[in-house]
Amino acid sequence: MVLAVHLYRRIMRRGRVLGLLALSSVPGLVFWLAGFDAGEREMPELFTDIISSVGYTYAIAALILTVATLRDERDSGTLPYIYMRPIPRLNMAAQSIVAGVGATLVIGVGGWLVAVVASLAVGNGISLPMPSLALFAGAAVGYGAIFVPLGYLVPRSLLVGLGYIIVLETILANVVTGLAQFSVWRIALSIYAGLDDDFGTVASDTLGPVTAGVGGGVVKLAAVVVIGLGALTWALKKRDAL
Amino acid sequence: MTDTIVVTDLSKWFGLKVAVSEVTIGFRPGVTGLLGPNGAGKTTLLRVMAGLQRPSQGEVRILGVDPRQDTEIYRKISLVPEDESVYERLTGRQFIELAARLAKIDHPVDRAQRVLETVGLTDAAGRALGGFSKGMRQRAKVAAALVSDPEVLLLDEPLNGADPVQRAQLIALFKELGNAGKTVLVSSHVLAEVERVSDRVVAMVDGRLAAVGDIATIRAAMTDKPRRVYVDATDPRRLAAALIARSGVLGVQIDGGTVHIETSDAGDLARGLPAIAVEHSIGLSKIEPVDESLESVFRYLVEGR
Repeated sequence: MVLAVHLYRRIMRRGRVLGLLALSSVPGLVFWLAGFDAGEREMPELFTDIISSVGYTYAIAALILTVATLRDERDSGTLPYIYMRPIPRLNMAAQSIVAGVGATLVIGVGGWLVAVVASLAVGNGISLPMPSLALFAGAAVGYGAIFVPLGYLVPRSLLVGLGYIIVLETILANVVTGLAQFSVWRIALSIYAGLDDDFGTVASDTLGPVTAGVGGGVVKLAAVVVIGLGALTWALKKRDAL
Repeated sequence: MTDTIVVTDLSKWFGLKVAVSEVTIGFRPGVTGLLGPNGAGKTTLLRVMAGLQRPSQGEVRILGVDPRQDTEIYRKISLVPEDESVYERLTGRQFIELAARLAKIDHPVDRAQRVLETVGLTDAAGRALGGFSKGMRQRAKVAAALVSDPEVLLLDEPLNGADPVQRAQLIALFKELGNAGKTVLVSSHVLAEVERVSDRVVAMVDGRLAAVGDIATIRAAMTDKPRRVYVDATDPRRLAAALIARSGVLGVQIDGGTVHIETSDAGDLARGLPAIAVEHSIGLSKIEPVDESLESVFRYLVEGR
């Protein structure tokens, strides 16, 4: 895992990490502010609603981190130092995705911890935010599997990724029912919904036609990972590395 | 001796721009200079040979293997890229150790230390690469390439930014590697560098091979270009008069005590000059062929395209 560790360290620059931690902390901070005016019985629903809707800030943080995994190497001209090594391309693709997912997980856990602190601050226990860790983790895996290959393959990957999150996930998937099944956020949300009995109205609306459930969500995420891994392996083998 | 790198009918184009066109060539162990002006296609050729870019047409075999098909070949080949880019935050030692670990070298720390010593970077190894001078970065890149003890070393403008002492050290290192049986390919647009690093030259112009061989052979093969020779003589006018009547001599010009001769047959001139000098009692103090240098040869090649 030498390559994964190297790529992880490369993308986790201090300035970038602090900025993205702030971005992924937005749902927790919003819950903190909203929680002061909410009654005790409203809290669980309020929490899931805020995490599921405002949580898109985490999706953007995940995008910024994961597209940079190989794009940083390519843009700075250092890709030959890792590409010209006796590492099978499937292995290289897997390590790259692991690095991207790992970095996103760290940011996600940071955002989740802010949600935990917010929950404690407004008088709830740790049990309220606990299931949402699955949302952050699931989203990290799904976005990593999509955006690491995107960053390698597409020159304007950040723009394309933003298009995916904003246009497909937040707009089109609400209008065209079938597209919701292709939303990583909704897949991760379905795992969260499977773990949390107090899933709110807004959260359920966001989920749309995607069925809540841990098993189904994990299988879908696994499929996303397989597709991402396959795409990146193909790109590393067949496309120019510079 | 068999070719370690075999390039067959290789072309690489980017959209409508043809960077390398129908190149067929083999490289053997030893140092070869890859010469060409900026934009000649040297970097693209090296990148395709290194497997970083796929050929649009043709194929590359390094030690019998297509580098884009078998990543294990990267245990045996290394590239020093032209870009100055390095990992700015890593120290020199961390950079080399990373290269060693990625190359799956046993005892990466020891190996890194050895190559740092080889390129003379031991004292600076603890400093961040971002603070390195251009020349030091070049040496760090060479060290990273040497860490796997490759059989084939592709060096793209490796002397860029190096000061004269560093250049001399790097050139000596490349020659040493070539003498040790490694295939070392050094690209440069600086003629003097190529001349110092290797006798064998591959010249590229406009993406095509312009010439291959040692400098004298390439020059000798250019029969359409008259050879110029400067001769210092005690009686230049008399010498000029005797030469102009000789077949093969295309022109003579007198400049002080020197006769500038243009000939289509240098061999005949070399044989004839002593006889003319004796016959006319002319003293010859210096005979200098002025277009035998790589610079002249290369100028002809570029002008001839």
